[in-house]
Amino acid sequence: MGRLVLSQLSRSFKDVTAVDNISLVVEDGDFLVLLGPSGCGKTTLLRMIAGLLEPTSGTLELDGLDITDLPSRHRDLAMVFQSYALYPHLSVAKNLAFPLTVRRTNRHDVSRRVAEVADMVDIAHLLERKPRELSGGQRQRVAVARALVREPKAFLMDEPLSNLDAKLRTATRQELAALHRRLGATFVYVTHDQVEAMTMATKIALLNGGRLEQVGTPDELYDRPASVFAAGFMGSPATNLLDARLSSSNGAITVMAPGVEAVLWEGETPEREIVLGIRPEHLSLHAPGSVAAAPTSGAALRGVVELCENLGREQLVHCRVGAHRIGVTCPREQRWEEGAVVVLGASTEHLHLFDRATGRRLEWRAEPPLTQHAAPNEPALSV
Amino acid sequence: MFTEVQGPTTTAAAAVVVGPAGPRARRRPRSAWLPYLYILPAVALLLVWTYWPLVQTAGLSLQDWNLIPTKPKTFVGVEKYQKVLSLPELHQALANTVAYILAFLGISVALPVLFALLSRRVQGRARTFYQALIFVPFLVTPVATSAVWRWLFAPESGTIPAIATTLGTPMGNIFRDPDSSMLSIVVIVGWQMLGFGVLVVSAGLAGISPDYSAAASIDGASQRQITWRIVLPLLSPSLVFLALMTILLSAQWTYPIIDLVTQGGPGNSSTNIYYLLYQFGFRNFDAGLSSAAGMLFFAGFGIVAVIFVELSEKLSFHDN
Repeated sequence: MGRLVLSQLSRSFKDVTAVDNISLVVEDGDFLVLLGPSGCGKTTLLRMIAGLLEPTSGTLELDGLDITDLPSRHRDLAMVFQSYALYPHLSVAKNLAFPLTVRRTNRHDVSRRVAEVADMVDIAHLLERKPRELSGGQRQRVAVARALVREPKAFLMDEPLSNLDAKLRTATRQELAALHRRLGATFVYVTHDQVEAMTMATKIALLNGGRLEQVGTPDELYDRPASVFAAGFMGSPATNLLDARLSSSNGAITVMAPGVEAVLWEGETPEREIVLGIRPEHLSLHAPGSVAAAPTSGAALRGVVELCENLGREQLVHCRVGAHRIGVTCPREQRWEEGAVVVLGASTEHLHLFDRATGRRLEWRAEPPLTQHAAPNEPALSV
Repeated sequence: MFTEVQGPTTTAAAAVVVGPAGPRARRRPRSAWLPYLYILPAVALLLVWTYWPLVQTAGLSLQDWNLIPTKPKTFVGVEKYQKVLSLPELHQALANTVAYILAFLGISVALPVLFALLSRRVQGRARTFYQALIFVPFLVTPVATSAVWRWLFAPESGTIPAIATTLGTPMGNIFRDPDSSMLSIVVIVGWQMLGFGVLVVSAGLAGISPDYSAAASIDGASQRQITWRIVLPLLSPSLVFLALMTILLSAQWTYPIIDLVTQGGPGNSSTNIYYLLYQFGFRNFDAGLSSAAGMLFFAGFGIVAVIFVELSEKLSFHDN
């Protein structure tokens, strides 16, 4: 078992608030990824869960037990550090045995468990080595094995893949996800890498400036970003975000901006300043005047090609639309000359609308009221 | 028909070789002796102030000479070595030196570990202040230290004897009592050396990543287990260094205090090997005896140093 409940958890360092009033439930068996840019408070949050930092306010529960003031050694958690923190004076075998021997486990069980986990992560041949005699990837395995050697209620991981090279990171990512499936245990994993988050998580908590931006499955985060920040952070190349005005004309909801026109669906709405988000892969490029360039619904953006970047698998075409530079991914077979006038199209379901003042996502609910006016920081149209 | 795509290396490598090789070849003759020039000042100083005197001492230890330049030096072989080894003063001084070293190992190795571990619980600027407070005595010159402590221990008007008398245990003149003269030296030198030890240990502790303690505490270790099983083993290279410094230097550290406070007395009770060596040479004017003793100590401390260097090689962990 390992169900973690964080309630209104905050942590300040002098006058900087690193973690700001975070409430979150990690269900038993979840692979929760705490995702966010540097300095967003994700590591601080993890260290509070681990008991290495005291929260300034708020409470932490593990399986119904309040562990807010419990020292980390009584919390029954295991952690993999970014630095791996392998005890440099102890052999791999002794590193693995450490969590057991400090608990005075009998010697027979210790050696049995050490052998088991060493087999599990394929380091049985390294047991007699010292940490300095291991490669980065091997150290990472030892660190994971040391966390596995006990059966803790939850595994905490602080950017465990960040010191590995790209190829090894991909392989280890898959192994960690497989390990999670096999153990069915609760994982809380900190990373700034959205690919790691998307591929491994069952649930992502996106943080920004110490606050939770969005909590959801990888699909939810990608397909329905809850805020401008979420839309901009998830996805590479980054989502195009442009200021626009939401209004209705002739019984249809429209979005207007210099060089941008979008007709969404039937309805009425008061005018509203918004941010329009469109992912580069959801835009298509057309020559002006072509049939596809004049869609009946969705968005049409008029622009000029400024730059084409070859990404290998595809190309990223940068277009100037009004004051914005919009990125579009398209097959490399398409040839677009710099300076060419183009029309960029996107279908309605791929348009993300955000309130400009609050940055929160706006969603349409067909039946009355047509537009709900919401509390200032929580629009009713938001997710 | 297939044609193989050529790698870019062949032509590029050729270009690279041709380019820089020219100027580098021209520079080579000058760079051959340049490095030696850089280390020459250090080597010269070592030769003049350390190795040449060492050679001279080795020479003097085989001769009989009373330091008067007009008197001839006579070769006596190993006679001076035989004599110095049979002198009861030397045995007493050796025993005293070992006692001093043991006392200072306690004061400048064990106590600093305790202090440094305790001062880790103090946070922020207060910790720096405490450490500075402990370190300051190390910066005071031994002459001033001796003067202050002589006043403090003065039998008539000193603060410490006055307090002792008030408490009902009059202590008399501790510098003139064979049972306490050595202890007084240990107290004075220990007070000075404690700060050095705390500095080295604190630096050693600061070099240990806090991740190890954090990892150990999540692994379930108590504070005690973390100290004994993680921190102290990781600190051991610093401790070996500190112990080596203590052993090698404590005889030198004590020398000025002995000279200023007890002159090795009463009855050689507080002397040490360096003070004895000084007495042989510059009180008794027996250069041969003094040099023979010096060579023996050099060899003895040399062996200790080699053992410790080996030990610290073995204990040093590459923190990564």
